[in-house]
Amino acid sequence: MRNEKLDLVTGDFYTQNFQKGARENTLILNLGPQHPSTHGVLRVLLELDGEYVLRAEPVLGYLHRMHEKMAEVKTLVQYMPNMGRVDYGHPLAWNWAFAGAAERLGGIEVPERAEFIRVISTELNRITSHLLWWGAYILDLGAFTPIMYAFDDRERLLDMLQILTGSRLTYSSFRIGGVCADINDKFIELCKDFIPYMRSRLPMYKALVTDNIILRKRVEEIGVFDQDMIRRYGATGPVARGSGIDYDVRRAEPYSVYDRFDWQVPVYQKGDAMARYLVRLDEIEQSMRIVEQALAQLPEGKIIVDKAPKYTWKAPKGEACFPVEGGRGLIAVHVISDGGKTPYKIKLRAPGFSNLSLFAEASRGTLLADSVAILGSLDLIIPEIDR
Amino acid sequence: MMETVFDQLSTQCVAKCDYAKTGLHWSVFLPASEIVRAAKLLYKEECFLEDITAIDVKEGYLVVYRFNHMDRPCRVALRVLVPHAAPKLPSISHVFHGAEWHERETHDFYGIEFSDNPNLVPLLLPADLDVHPLQKEEGARASLADLLTPCEVLRAEPGFDLLTPKAEEEGKKAKTAGAEATGA
Repeated sequence: MRNEKLDLVTGDFYTQNFQKGARENTLILNLGPQHPSTHGVLRVLLELDGEYVLRAEPVLGYLHRMHEKMAEVKTLVQYMPNMGRVDYGHPLAWNWAFAGAAERLGGIEVPERAEFIRVISTELNRITSHLLWWGAYILDLGAFTPIMYAFDDRERLLDMLQILTGSRLTYSSFRIGGVCADINDKFIELCKDFIPYMRSRLPMYKALVTDNIILRKRVEEIGVFDQDMIRRYGATGPVARGSGIDYDVRRAEPYSVYDRFDWQVPVYQKGDAMARYLVRLDEIEQSMRIVEQALAQLPEGKIIVDKAPKYTWKAPKGEACFPVEGGRGLIAVHVISDGGKTPYKIKLRAPGFSNLSLFAEASRGTLLADSVAILGSLDLIIPEIDR
Repeated sequence: MMETVFDQLSTQCVAKCDYAKTGLHWSVFLPASEIVRAAKLLYKEECFLEDITAIDVKEGYLVVYRFNHMDRPCRVALRVLVPHAAPKLPSISHVFHGAEWHERETHDFYGIEFSDNPNLVPLLLPADLDVHPLQKEEGARASLADLLTPCEVLRAEPGFDLLTPKAEEEGKKAKTAGAEATGA
């Protein structure tokens, strides 16, 4: 925009593009790409009238690494670690979406024990994702303590996941045909200790945080999304379930062994930030229920198919996707193969991308502080959005 | 149901896919002029847009729109072929507002122009980049029939040949078979 006094043109391409629609006496402000919350490198251009947001436009691309191009120059087996880096919150769900698509293409059937290990590790990963979201969200809203409690709980989960995956954050432990490591006694011991421990923490979180009047004033009736808006933007996951839509890929397009366990899909009707918050906290409990039952029913067997694809494996020609319920919603990795060494095309369908796209409409006319509360309630992980 | 939606459109091809193999239920080829109507019909059916992407094939750019439904899961891939020389088609972002970003991303990666997208500036790539990274070299492109998993074609307009494998190979096979039969 033109600074009249200094006769300078300031702002980059996006600021100038955004400024074209500006009204008189409004302030154009950048929220990010660097800001003190753990969303990642997200930049949101805001047009403010005092404290009110007249217009908001997220600007993406600060963490874009062109994963879809990398897929075209790597073999399918070589591409698995990329899935760990797409979404550091729930990388095992991305691992699964990709491994599942490759297995569908190749007609590979995963052994039963491997399916159970996949369920257990993915559900534990969902808990770490929701705990990270919870701590960071409350931090956004101004409270410094809950994130420390959340990360303390996460440490126990990370110890367990390290046994199964070898890593603490960007897991790529799934293989096309199974998983890379088996459950051992140490894991079972840690898990049997963790679940009752976590169950004793959740009431404390409820009393300290969820029922806290300060939090409730910040998130209740803020950012109400109706079902039409959810559909217009393709938002899925807790964002949709907080608005009364009972849609969970584990139930809608059942995969693996989820149908053997007794668990619920939490759905809240109000559609405000508090509803989305409650959905995620309830999902922590449901994930623990699944893990308990999976451990009890764990069968013996192999953890990967015999003659599992090596790095030179070529998928037969065809197109496949394997939709998975990630912490943020519907994840799908579409693989198109021409029978060659590397895939012809891979499309990464990121739930956060669709979830964030409704922010421009949702934040119109809100107070700046409320738009931050809405942004946090979407549970954004920017590497997944930018890919 | 989806079949009644497809009946109301002038489709080029309606095919049922093998869900267990591909994750797709329907694969429907449309001309560019029908995509906005298709989006409106699917919106009325309360579908949601999963994503929009494109595949660079010999025949052109195949723009793929994937829709699904939250109550009655059904993944529909609408496919629109646009020529390499003039990759342009109408935007559906006035029907499904989430399409604005998906179209911007497809434009970034393939250079496809979505007319009346309200904000067709780069989304993920730098604003001053002048390449579209997922475009393929001429020699590296495959034919669409060599990429997609075979599906059950319910109906196709006459002359629709995007899903039939290359004719020259079939001709060669016929010649060899004929030669063997006569013992030449």
